[in-house]
Amino acid sequence: MTECQVKRLRLFWNNRYLYLLGLPGLALLLVFGYVPLFGHILAFEDYRLDKGIFGSQFVGFKNFEFFFASGDWLKITFNTIFLNFLFLVFGLGSALAVALFLNEITTKWLKKLSQSFIFLPYFVSWLVVSMMALQMLKSNGILNQLLGLFGVEPCMWYMKPHAWPTILTVIYVWKFAGYFSVIFLAAITGISPEFYESAQIDGASKMQQIRLITLPLIRPVFIVLALMAMGRIFFGDFGMIYGIVGDQGMLFDTTDVIDTYTFRALRQLGNFSMSAAVVFYQSVLGVVTILASNAVVRKIDADSAMF
Amino acid sequence: MNYSRHVRATAGDRVEILAMQIFVVLFAFLCFMPFWMVVVNSFASERVLSQDGYRLWPSEFSLEAYKYMLSGLQIYRSYGVTIFVTVVGTTIALMSTAMYAYFISSPKIKHRQLLSFLTFFIMVFGPGLVGSYILIANWLHLKDSLWALILPYAFNPFFALIMITFFRGIPKEYSEAATIDGANDFSAFFRVILPIAKPAAASVGLLYALYYWNDWWLALLYIDNDKLYPLQMLLRQVMSQVNLGAYIQGSQTNYAQAVPGLGLQLVVVCLTIGPIILAYPRVQRYFVKGIAVGGIKG
Repeated sequence: MTECQVKRLRLFWNNRYLYLLGLPGLALLLVFGYVPLFGHILAFEDYRLDKGIFGSQFVGFKNFEFFFASGDWLKITFNTIFLNFLFLVFGLGSALAVALFLNEITTKWLKKLSQSFIFLPYFVSWLVVSMMALQMLKSNGILNQLLGLFGVEPCMWYMKPHAWPTILTVIYVWKFAGYFSVIFLAAITGISPEFYESAQIDGASKMQQIRLITLPLIRPVFIVLALMAMGRIFFGDFGMIYGIVGDQGMLFDTTDVIDTYTFRALRQLGNFSMSAAVVFYQSVLGVVTILASNAVVRKIDADSAMF
Repeated sequence: MNYSRHVRATAGDRVEILAMQIFVVLFAFLCFMPFWMVVVNSFASERVLSQDGYRLWPSEFSLEAYKYMLSGLQIYRSYGVTIFVTVVGTTIALMSTAMYAYFISSPKIKHRQLLSFLTFFIMVFGPGLVGSYILIANWLHLKDSLWALILPYAFNPFFALIMITFFRGIPKEYSEAATIDGANDFSAFFRVILPIAKPAAASVGLLYALYYWNDWWLALLYIDNDKLYPLQMLLRQVMSQVNLGAYIQGSQTNYAQAVPGLGLQLVVVCLTIGPIILAYPRVQRYFVKGIAVGGIKG
């Protein structure tokens, strides 16, 4: 052993308790984060359960050819990007508005109560949301009752695929406006009151103060959040889409995303290789967007970059 | 003149501020509405529910659905599963996360840059559905085991990040003083650092608890035995309305009794979110703190 190696070993031994502390987390990370990456091999195989990963036949890009020839890829890729884009724009936009407006409520209990109510939907699961949505949207649900007051005929929402990007966006805003506004509010609270005091002395109106002080100062937070969401634009929210839409094929044209598609291929069709091919396709696109968005974030604000 | 302009500005302000206030209070009201509807209608009679749908105030009240649900065994089994998974999962996850965060924020560790890249990259990127499924179902043989609902979530890098941010704020002198006094990193962590980190641990622990309580993805993938379903999956089962009576009441099913299907959905929702709502006023601030610290990255 060279002297250098001995030195390194001794350093490791001296810090053995420190490494021991990190071990459980590291083990969980490796086993449940990195070992499953083997699954990508299946994308290039005709996987058979009895033969296992290493015994199944290698078929090259056949699974991909099948996927791209089916035409499904265009639909689910478009839906994933389109829905995520809607969620990003309206989710962050409404959260920003909520944060700005909450900040203007001077009555303490009212502000607290409002914030608590707006934050509450974050705490329930998508299945609970799904159940609430069903009750709102079914033929004698609240929405149709309300529309009825204006003389509009009741609508069978679960048969109208084109309404669903809007419906899902409304649900997303309802669930996450509170969550993101917590982040914006934290940023707003961090702004020094001196800015506002001197603006008031100069006679700036409330709207001017918001436009010229608050918004520019929390812009980096907004941009970082948006970029993070952009990085994951190829990853659909499985819990949300499958929880709410489930197996209602009628709505797939506008709601089926990559993640629900791969789930069905795996659990309902039992087609491991096909599912793996789509996951691989998603992962390749995902790596590019994640690394790109992270690089941009790093340029804007190094502390907020993920890595 | 200067003075009058100032007055006019505030008068204009008042209208704008009032508009903003009304908007946000209205939005808060809309956020709360579904919760109100679910809770109040869970006490409505089945007849009213199927006839009128949900109402702000049902015209006929009844405890029939609650009685039906609570007289069967399944609700207690599902509660048991959810509570077990949440308690055991949160304990394991919080410990592994806090220790890992201390480990990775220590300057004594080699290749920290690489390690933290590996930690956060896989979380954004995801381990991949098919590989995870084969690992847990075929290699670890965890199908229909509660560990399949616990272990995959027992280390969440985003939550680790909140701890790491917090640990960075603790002056180095604390752990240095402890190690100089002859304590090793192990006892320095448990005796000195962890007690200081209590607020961060509360935030991260509650985030984990919520995550476990609300999860149904793992149960959907790995639990086929519907007796082992957590509360969330019980809700899904009730919504699908297949053989509801036999599932909820088991062997004591009285087939002559009509199943109050609509009411049962509401009852399960209320029993599922009940504990969260009850704890909410006391725990909200820990979530706010945790999300404000780590939220940008999550």
